[in-house]
Amino acid sequence: MTDPADAPLALDDIRVLDLAGEPGMYCGKLLAELGADVIKIEPPGGDPARRIGPFFHDEVDPNKSLYFFGLNSSKRSITLNIATADGQALLKRLLPTANVVVETFPPGYLDSLGLGYTDLCRIKPDIIHCSITGFGESGPHSHYKTPDIVAIAMSGMMYLAGFPGEAPDRPYGNQTNYCASIQATTGILMALLHRDATGEGQQVEVSMQEALLLNQETAVPYWDIRKDLRGRVGNERRLPAIGVYECQDGYVMFMVGVPGFGSPWPELMRWMVDEGKVEDLLEERWKNLFGQLDMRLIAELYFGTDAELVATWVPRLTHIDEVLARFIKNYTKEYLYEEGQRRGLLVAPVNTPGDLVENPQLNYRRWFTPVEHPELETTITYAGPPYRFSEPPWCIRRPPRIGEHNQEVYCGELGLSQEQLEALTGAGII
Amino acid sequence: MQANRLPLEGIRVADFCWFGAGPIYTENLANHGAQVVRVESQAHIDGLRAAHPMPEGKYTLNVSGYYNNYNASKLSFTLNMKHPKALDVALRLVAVSDIVAENYTPGTLEKWGLTYEKLQEVKPDIILVREPMQGSDGPHANFGGFGAVISPLAGISHLSGSPDRVPVGLGTNYTDYVINPGHTVIATLAALRYRNRTGKGQVVEVAQVESSACVVGTAILDQTVNDRVQNRQGNRLPHAAPHGAYRCQGDDRWCVIAVFSDDQWRAFCQAIGDPQWCHEERFATFQGRKENEDELDRLVEGWTSTRTAEEVMETLQAAGVPAGVVQNARDVLENDPHLKERGYYVYLDHPEAGRTAYDGPGFRLGKTPGSLQPAPMLGEHTERVCKEVLQMDDEEMAQLVMQGVLF
Repeated sequence: MTDPADAPLALDDIRVLDLAGEPGMYCGKLLAELGADVIKIEPPGGDPARRIGPFFHDEVDPNKSLYFFGLNSSKRSITLNIATADGQALLKRLLPTANVVVETFPPGYLDSLGLGYTDLCRIKPDIIHCSITGFGESGPHSHYKTPDIVAIAMSGMMYLAGFPGEAPDRPYGNQTNYCASIQATTGILMALLHRDATGEGQQVEVSMQEALLLNQETAVPYWDIRKDLRGRVGNERRLPAIGVYECQDGYVMFMVGVPGFGSPWPELMRWMVDEGKVEDLLEERWKNLFGQLDMRLIAELYFGTDAELVATWVPRLTHIDEVLARFIKNYTKEYLYEEGQRRGLLVAPVNTPGDLVENPQLNYRRWFTPVEHPELETTITYAGPPYRFSEPPWCIRRPPRIGEHNQEVYCGELGLSQEQLEALTGAGII
Repeated sequence: MQANRLPLEGIRVADFCWFGAGPIYTENLANHGAQVVRVESQAHIDGLRAAHPMPEGKYTLNVSGYYNNYNASKLSFTLNMKHPKALDVALRLVAVSDIVAENYTPGTLEKWGLTYEKLQEVKPDIILVREPMQGSDGPHANFGGFGAVISPLAGISHLSGSPDRVPVGLGTNYTDYVINPGHTVIATLAALRYRNRTGKGQVVEVAQVESSACVVGTAILDQTVNDRVQNRQGNRLPHAAPHGAYRCQGDDRWCVIAVFSDDQWRAFCQAIGDPQWCHEERFATFQGRKENEDELDRLVEGWTSTRTAEEVMETLQAAGVPAGVVQNARDVLENDPHLKERGYYVYLDHPEAGRTAYDGPGFRLGKTPGSLQPAPMLGEHTERVCKEVLQMDDEEMAQLVMQGVLF
């Protein structure tokens, strides 16, 4: 066993060669922030994602892409054209120092360069090679072009998002990047534990489509077990107090009255009484409806296909919903959240990014993390850690400039002379 | 070298999780070799066991597709934590476990007597993994919540969907399925490796709201750097056009199309038969296509709406243009030839639920691929855990059953 003093981080003995484009960038970031030395290998001129906005102070510059920043913190960067023989030779010289390779090339591309898994194994037998592709390494769609929206659509999750009868919604923010990278990171860590125990490396294969399929929630079991097809429900509030309401300064989500979840309907009534806005809801004909609602009826109202049942219930519930909507409209989302939760009700604000950075809970826990950017002569506040360890602490460093570590890696580690580095740079290899 | 040894073989998890994000996380460990002992109780049923979908006319606690799909490969051990004698049994389980997992409101484990200090007493290098909603401290630590309120809280709802529509989110409890369980598995595996290297256990905390807010990282940076409050933009992207979902032949059938470059635009025009409108001046440049995007979308939909979504996808992909059917659950389970060939969905026989589909692992390990066993029935493995894991004799077990501890 390593002396604890020498091993302060989970992965600080691990080097990752990160050849990944957008879908795999978050994977390298996660590994780097667990302590791995992640060397991002970019084509000369920089990763294409560096050209995607938004940009720092809206200055369009490949070293100022905030989209890139968010996915590439804590890595080092070297440039290398692996499509050339010299580039391939350099990569092979770097490979023995690495434990993990992450890449997002189309299936077969690295093989065609002599850099496929079997080639890598000849140089580094216990290498862990992780590929992230749209549809995996095999199968009839394996060569499909797969930007985020295609993976989201083909995974079934898009079909569920949005309003009935209208075009389905793509989620914000290239969620494929996160889901595919999370699956990849999980696979790599399992492969590392296996390597630690047996000395054996292996391939980790991630299909973006497969990485997203679980996000369909119950849609597949519904079809499989009941032949009910879940679709989009928009903001159809089949039960009062379960859904999104407009309030004074935006929107809030209410989840009140679901059996088994706390958050009881009578408490919401008390709140409306206290605020003098209960209208006629204390009359028996409205109150009694709630006693009849159980989990199965609610599920049926939401996901079921019994049109008759829905038709009986919805009108009776509409009046209650209208009174509630009038009540909510009077208050800010912050007040509804704080007061609702104080009363034990599940209420949540629909936070904007502006609300998020002012969120008292996130700020109390110092979630947002300042990162120094000396090259921009400033400090930038980043999204904070996805998880917290009691030891060792999570850490984040600014993302690298294009080829910032060429000198350090090529000259310092591989022993290239300054002249060689310049010649290779001039020739478009580095 | 040991052949066919799964990566987490030899790791035992005392799994106190319930509902979605917790159990999905521990299932991932179970599918890759860990022995996951799901601690449940008839006195405190996991809500998912009572949730739809269940087979028509067969409503029991063992047949929910919601529960079963997220609890494959685990052992179900019924232990009533509210019984005073349960603590001792729980600690005996902890003493032979590597990981304790939970996703309750902060303080629940402590209420049962399962403080971290107590866990450490019986297992000094124990890894306690907590997955609370908002974190264990702070002004909102005790606020209630589950997946459905995380999308609005974390900014995902505000940023997704059409700008002229109410921000309803994604129609699911999105971060419950990959994002939060995924971050939790990663943190757990990192803590395991740290323990292997240093001999030290620890407490790992994944606050679900924090883990979820990571996925709007770009909007956070735009806010903190440029002071810009991003709003939802529907299916459009600033650097692509056309980019969206287009109506196709049939009921609620759609295909997405995404054109990022001039090359892809030319390939798109050719693939759809080079109609006259493709040559119009206003669509000649990316800027022109962006400025006339409403009209462009209408014309694109004119072409897609007379074809099946599959035909649109196949025609465009054959020309190198990104396109994909907006598949529904039936498509992915029964029709998608690619998923079928790769065998993503796994059909398993369950004594009560019959043969049902389970999601397979979200990644594939070449030499040690994960594999699934059917989800356990409530208390199915109580006896086995008592005998094999806790080394109880028949008499002790019988007493605990009669006293309502193993319940």
